[in-house]
Amino acid sequence: MRLALHAEWTKLRTVAGPLWLLLGTIATTVALSAGATSLVNCTADGCGGDTTRLTLMGVYLGQAPVAILALLMISGEYSSGMIRTTLTAVPRRVTALAAKAVALTGAVTAGGTAAVLGAVLAGRLMLPDVGDRALSLSNGPALRAVFGTVLYLILIGLLSLGVATAVRDSATSIGVVLGLLYIVPIVAQTISDPEWQRLLEKTAPMSSGLAIQATTDLGNLPISPWAGLAVTAGWATATLAAGGLLLRTRDA
Amino acid sequence: MTPTVTSHRSGQHAGRDGFLQVLHAEWTKFRTVRGWPTGMVAAVLLLLLFAVLTGISSDQNGSPPVPIGPGGEPVTDSFYFVHQPLSGNGSITVSVSALESSIPRGPGDLRPGTVPWAKAGLIIKQSTRQGSPYAAIMVTGGRGVRMQDAYVNDRPGPPGPVSAESPRRLRLDRSGDTITGYASADGAHWKTVGTARVGGLGQTAQVGLFVASPPAVEGMGTAGSVSTAVFEGLRFQEGWAGGTWTGDQVGPESPSFAGYPEDTSGSVTGSDGRLTVTGAGDIAPANRETLPTGGTLRDILTGTFAALIAVIVVGALFITTEYRGTMIRLTLAASPGRSRVLAAKAIVLWAVTFIAGLLGTAVATPLGERLAQDNGVYLFPVSSPAELRVAVGTAALLATASVLALSAGAVFRHGAAAVTAVLLAIVLPYVLTAVPFMPASAANWLARVTPGAAFAVQQTLVEYDQVAGHYTPYYGYYPLAPWAGFAVLAAYAVVSMSAAAVLLGRRDA
Amino acid sequence: MSAPGIVVAGLRKRYGSALALDGMSFSVRPGAVTGLIGPNGAGKSTTMRVILGLDSVDEGTALIGGKPYRSLRCPLNHVGSLLDASALHPGRSGRHHLLWLAHSQGLDARRVQQVIEQVGLASAARRKAGGYSLGMRQRLGIAAALLGDPPTIMLDEPFNGMDPDGIVWMRGFLRSLAAEGRAVLVSSHLMSEVQDTADRLVVVGRGKAIADAAVADLIAAASGNRVAVRTTAGTHAMRVLAQAGATVAATSRDTITVSELPPDRIVALLSEGAVPFSEVSAHRATLEDVYLDLTREAVEFRATSTEVTR
Repeated sequence: MRLALHAEWTKLRTVAGPLWLLLGTIATTVALSAGATSLVNCTADGCGGDTTRLTLMGVYLGQAPVAILALLMISGEYSSGMIRTTLTAVPRRVTALAAKAVALTGAVTAGGTAAVLGAVLAGRLMLPDVGDRALSLSNGPALRAVFGTVLYLILIGLLSLGVATAVRDSATSIGVVLGLLYIVPIVAQTISDPEWQRLLEKTAPMSSGLAIQATTDLGNLPISPWAGLAVTAGWATATLAAGGLLLRTRDA
Repeated sequence: MTPTVTSHRSGQHAGRDGFLQVLHAEWTKFRTVRGWPTGMVAAVLLLLLFAVLTGISSDQNGSPPVPIGPGGEPVTDSFYFVHQPLSGNGSITVSVSALESSIPRGPGDLRPGTVPWAKAGLIIKQSTRQGSPYAAIMVTGGRGVRMQDAYVNDRPGPPGPVSAESPRRLRLDRSGDTITGYASADGAHWKTVGTARVGGLGQTAQVGLFVASPPAVEGMGTAGSVSTAVFEGLRFQEGWAGGTWTGDQVGPESPSFAGYPEDTSGSVTGSDGRLTVTGAGDIAPANRETLPTGGTLRDILTGTFAALIAVIVVGALFITTEYRGTMIRLTLAASPGRSRVLAAKAIVLWAVTFIAGLLGTAVATPLGERLAQDNGVYLFPVSSPAELRVAVGTAALLATASVLALSAGAVFRHGAAAVTAVLLAIVLPYVLTAVPFMPASAANWLARVTPGAAFAVQQTLVEYDQVAGHYTPYYGYYPLAPWAGFAVLAAYAVVSMSAAAVLLGRRDA
Repeated sequence: MSAPGIVVAGLRKRYGSALALDGMSFSVRPGAVTGLIGPNGAGKSTTMRVILGLDSVDEGTALIGGKPYRSLRCPLNHVGSLLDASALHPGRSGRHHLLWLAHSQGLDARRVQQVIEQVGLASAARRKAGGYSLGMRQRLGIAAALLGDPPTIMLDEPFNGMDPDGIVWMRGFLRSLAAEGRAVLVSSHLMSEVQDTADRLVVVGRGKAIADAAVADLIAAASGNRVAVRTTAGTHAMRVLAQAGATVAATSRDTITVSELPPDRIVALLSEGAVPFSEVSAHRATLEDVYLDLTREAVEFRATSTEVTR
């Protein structure tokens, strides 16, 4: 496992794509967060809502490069045929996948932390001080939101890796991943039955996972912050397990 | 082209037939890769699946009927009515000296607030039945004096709020079917606000005072409100004579009325000289927020978003797979006119996706409508031309999105990048409009300039100035006209195709 | 360690209705170049993928040094392989491609530099692999196979896309690997590519080995001590030779083929019988003939009435 991990890490750092995608994550996260923050009208009473969540909104967009990075780690190898070289070097296939997952986690942790801290910094610079202590990282819920958002990005990466391992083709994989992330919330909007709506919000990987960003009005969330992130973790685990199983049983 | 082609295929003209051959080749390629026709079938099935899901996900059987206005549109017709039946022609005058609104901030915590469309004034209405014809003149919380009739007609009168120091005098005259509203600041100089012809009032109509207070728009949602008005100097003229007043809540149980805030109710107190009336509700066309149980064609076609993924993936793969296997060299060797190859691919893809999309919407729409109606769901009415426009427009939206993905694939030469770029450009605006904090201006801007503007083809709701609400894409109100929105997507596709053609010609294959 | 080299025994694999491997068995010995020869679709690549644990089989075993590939720790130290030279990330340099492979086996950059020089890729190693010619990719693939200094080397169609210089280099290189005592397995669908290189040949057709022998033995067996006689009096000559106990057949209008008689005896007999002849020559089969003979029945996609096994 240690050797396989070293190899995967070398793979990640010896092509330009992953670095650009991580920079893309940082840029899109900070840009969208700053854009959203600039739209808020703050008064002396505060800014009328959950400003922590607002400043972290950039992950709505920033998760897309993370997903691409993750799925290219495996579907890129399938399209070039290099997967055979990888599995020749590391014939234990679950180990090979696990090594990819760990290397990905490392890369996303670095990129995701930079993205999230950048977004928080942008939010702090843009929001007035009045009545807004929520953005301080010494504040428990805000710290949870920031830390949890990095975890969320990691989980989205792992989810994408699992989907790509199962699907193999990169374009189809990104379609599936973006569908899971973005389409379910849109469908939830149009469903008029509130119980179905809440159920979808509780079980969809994005809407449940981003509950970790909530710092106000916690009683009214469809799902509590950590439970929501656990749902996303469940999705990541399930897709990775499915991908691992297929990788084990299929001919490479 | 030389007129005489002396090759072994001299029987054929190289020009037009040449392009048809390229077209034929691309069609053969499309239908022989199993995944691509499968993707199109998936798009159709997703449209159907979501239509069925939307159709069965809501059960409204047993709920009260949605009130329908004279024009066939759903309306809100719930308000506090102090009325008496009066026959023939006549005139009624009153002075409104106060109109104050309250909005709950929490359970039992009612605070004064501004409700621009809170209404207090005079009304002549066929009956207390919801949806019956009427005409009314009123003062409002923030829009001055208005004359309204038939739920959808609204004419402005003198602006400004009312207070005890500057009360507003209102007058409503009936002459047969013609109702005229007047306003005056001093009781001496009267200004005509508007004249309405109201059919179906009958010989005897209900005449009197009313107070309505629609939900206040707050942040991402709305909050029910209640308003109280003070009326003075109520008197009849020209044939009408006063009788006994009755205070009633019109339409207390209605899908388009959320009810009174906690611990409040409609009431009338005082004597003939000075009446204090409290009411909630509205007399207006229903919108997506006042009629939350109402369904739209757009809801039934929710699957468009899912189908979009399928057609975008197919569109991107239709060209990127050629780069992967360097088959593009073979393709370009077979027909060296590179932009012609791209054009042929685009035509084949657009046509196939359009047909698939049309098939999907043509089946999904009646299916979803039927299921929804069987479950007692009220659907906002759509004219046949509009229904056709939604079906054709949705198919065109899918087809154009897949061509946009094709051109993105040619530019990026990478399937995942092309799919992500196109999908996010079209779908992300809708994800973002659902985010709390997103002001309507920002949401509407996104729905105007991004390729997602094309979802305007699914617009079936009408925006009314006299009803406050969130007129954003999230609720199904688009800032652009249907085909104008589609034109935005089409413009993106044309620009992107041009860029792809230039790059394809310039780059080494 | 038991059984050095590669031992393939009774591999059977079915893709849907098509039988890809039908009892494939052979072995690859140390110190020799073994050629795996057969027409396209005969099962060469599938066999190699099975040996590398990439494809599973319905039946049979493929062992490397007595162990299945998937149980090897640091497998590149046991067997080096090249399946598809184009299976590279186009944006990664050749050196970095070798580097990640080296890291997966616990090797370092020094070993990478050694193999780069060994295959003569030093000048291009830092360029992106996407810009490599097919020949350079083949060299990079060979470098990857050598990385773990393995006792066994397995190359699928290594001559594909090589220029004449490259082919000469490759032949010498394969010989030197075998001379170092390694077991070398090389597949090809062209006999001419391997006949000067291989010591042993495994000829495959329709998913099984139809011959497994030393090159010299194969040629001798195919030649069968036959002698060709060019004569205008064919009938006369056949009678004379048949009486002397030879098996005789008319090959063409002026040629007869004689078996079980040495050439000098034939000349004597024909002279005795006063049969005119213009040429008597010992027939020597080429490997090409051997290959065509052996695979004739095994070519699956020939237009014959023979049904493909269902």
